[in-house]
Amino acid sequence: MNFALAVGVVAGSILSGTSLLYATLGELVGERAGIVNLGLEGLMLIGAASGFAATALTGSPYLGIAAAAAAGVSVNLIFAYLVVTRHANQLATGLALMFFGIGLSALIGRPFVGALITGLPRLAVPGLEPGSVGARLLSYDVLVYLAVPAALATWWLIFRTRWGLGLRTVGENPAAAFAAGLRPQSLQYQALMFAGAFGGIAGAHMSLALTLTWDEGMTAGRGFIAIALVIFAKWNPLLAVVGALLFGGAEGLQLQLQAAGADVSPFIMNMTPYLLTLLVLILWGWRRQFAAPAMLGRSFVGVE
Amino acid sequence: MMRSVLAMATGTILLALLAAGPVAAQDKPPLTVGAIYVGSVNDYGYNRSMKDGLEEMKKNIPGLKLIEAENVPETAESERVMEGMIQQGAKLIFATSFGHQQFAFNLAKTHPDVYFEHAGGWMQAPNFGNFFGATQSAWYPMGVAAGKMTKTNTLGFVVGVPIGYAIGNVNAFEMGARSVNPKAETRVVVTGGWSDKAKEAAAANALMDQGADVVTMHVDSPATIIQAAESREKYSIGFQSIEARQLAPKYWITGLGFTWGPFMTETAKSVMNGTFKPAMVREGLGQMMAVAPFGAGVSPDVQKLVTASADQVEHGFNPFTGPVTDNAGAVRIPAGQSWGGEKMGDFDWYVEGVIGKAK
Repeated sequence: MNFALAVGVVAGSILSGTSLLYATLGELVGERAGIVNLGLEGLMLIGAASGFAATALTGSPYLGIAAAAAAGVSVNLIFAYLVVTRHANQLATGLALMFFGIGLSALIGRPFVGALITGLPRLAVPGLEPGSVGARLLSYDVLVYLAVPAALATWWLIFRTRWGLGLRTVGENPAAAFAAGLRPQSLQYQALMFAGAFGGIAGAHMSLALTLTWDEGMTAGRGFIAIALVIFAKWNPLLAVVGALLFGGAEGLQLQLQAAGADVSPFIMNMTPYLLTLLVLILWGWRRQFAAPAMLGRSFVGVE
Repeated sequence: MMRSVLAMATGTILLALLAAGPVAAQDKPPLTVGAIYVGSVNDYGYNRSMKDGLEEMKKNIPGLKLIEAENVPETAESERVMEGMIQQGAKLIFATSFGHQQFAFNLAKTHPDVYFEHAGGWMQAPNFGNFFGATQSAWYPMGVAAGKMTKTNTLGFVVGVPIGYAIGNVNAFEMGARSVNPKAETRVVVTGGWSDKAKEAAAANALMDQGADVVTMHVDSPATIIQAAESREKYSIGFQSIEARQLAPKYWITGLGFTWGPFMTETAKSVMNGTFKPAMVREGLGQMMAVAPFGAGVSPDVQKLVTASADQVEHGFNPFTGPVTDNAGAVRIPAGQSWGGEKMGDFDWYVEGVIGKAK
């Protein structure tokens, strides 16, 4: 394994792991409140499209991030109304949200196909020579630098605050939470707004830092990988960091291996991320250490 | 899967719009032409090149009416979209994506009075012809440009799907590079799809990590890869639409683009005159392909070399003339033989100097 390959894999997994991490954190908070959102893919697409559109219109990628987060919150509010207030089936509503997101993002993005934007600037650690290994490893956009702090903050919110305790209680036993004076539905709304903002930001990172273009369906299944990562992370934000790096790395690694001239068929190479997903699910299933919130996927319709 | 579901939905909406559109009360146009694109025409890539060609045709034939539909999937949905165009009076239809072929062909059988031109396929009928650029040999001068501009002797090539034609492009590129720089190597990364932007960015980065200082590609839209190279201050060479140079103001070298305009104009005229003849048209540089303008950093000497090489290809030079050796050392095209035409789809090997596996 040559040095350039190692550097490339590390930098590549950080870059492509970032959007996975934001998406996973958002989904994780929602699931802690007992709501599984299969529409994450659509949510990310709306984030990617509206972030790109806002950047193209205003010239500021930071406003793009804000727009993506706002769009994500709005879309998840629709989802929250359906599954929390109207008690709709979460799985079916989530899939509907995914298709809604695919269509809506295409509509938002349509006028901006081919638009040129200045993406999120790379903020390099000062004193590094451009083009050097150090510059490749230590110059990322602001969303990359904020990703791990965001995971730590999410962990702190869930496990060290009264709000987080309430959230977890709602996810395990909303009736008990209600009896303790909490308002389960309000907490679920809050959790889904958080999830919406993070899902939107995840999409924005793809269009504003990685591709610098908008393309229909550009998340290419990464929303579903993020849902799998919540299981991988056992609903713990800190483990989500590991998972996001691992899965970001799996894709980066195979492309890097091809560039390095590894003697393996490119068709097999392109299967690696999915093989890894299967492997993780098999291993996790076998270990049977599930930590899923007890009420995940079920509606709380109040107490008698 | 999701792309196609989405595309299908979009196609349906477009069709509905077409069907509901008001009938124009103006004079009858001399010819109504329908065109379907698989993606958006603003992609700086393949679809843009088709759009540019059709616009040129429209300009050349006053009064011609052009009906277009973007994001038409390569499914039976495309047949319905084209059917709608025929109902609006289209007498000539350009089905511009490979997967539209069967559906256009079905319609050709049921509508013998409507003419069809399909990009990239092989089917033939009295009212159904085919056209495409002979891209492979046209990549040779691109290699000349890259071989001259590289300082690391490492070139990077992102390939969407390693079909024979794409491998042929890589091979001609590397042979062109070697013709001016015997040390030049081309590293290939396959992404597995014609349009997965995030993966294309990662692939370009991987190639640059391995030392590539010139990056090029064969995917639907070059936009992401060119911008990825520009952001790391590496050179890029475009493909599909010559307009892609706007994406890299500093490190653009040149590019290869399709110029469909003259062919489309001639085809439209032949339909108007009743002289349409179905054919399988494959034209290279000088006809269906053109070399894009050079970037600011390309010296006049290099420009001259590239232009001369393009001129040779235009006048019949075939890079695939034996002996040609593959990158495992076996002679694939013996001395005295040469490959051309439909043989270009048969590549399942890379030439000497390419680092990558074809299968």
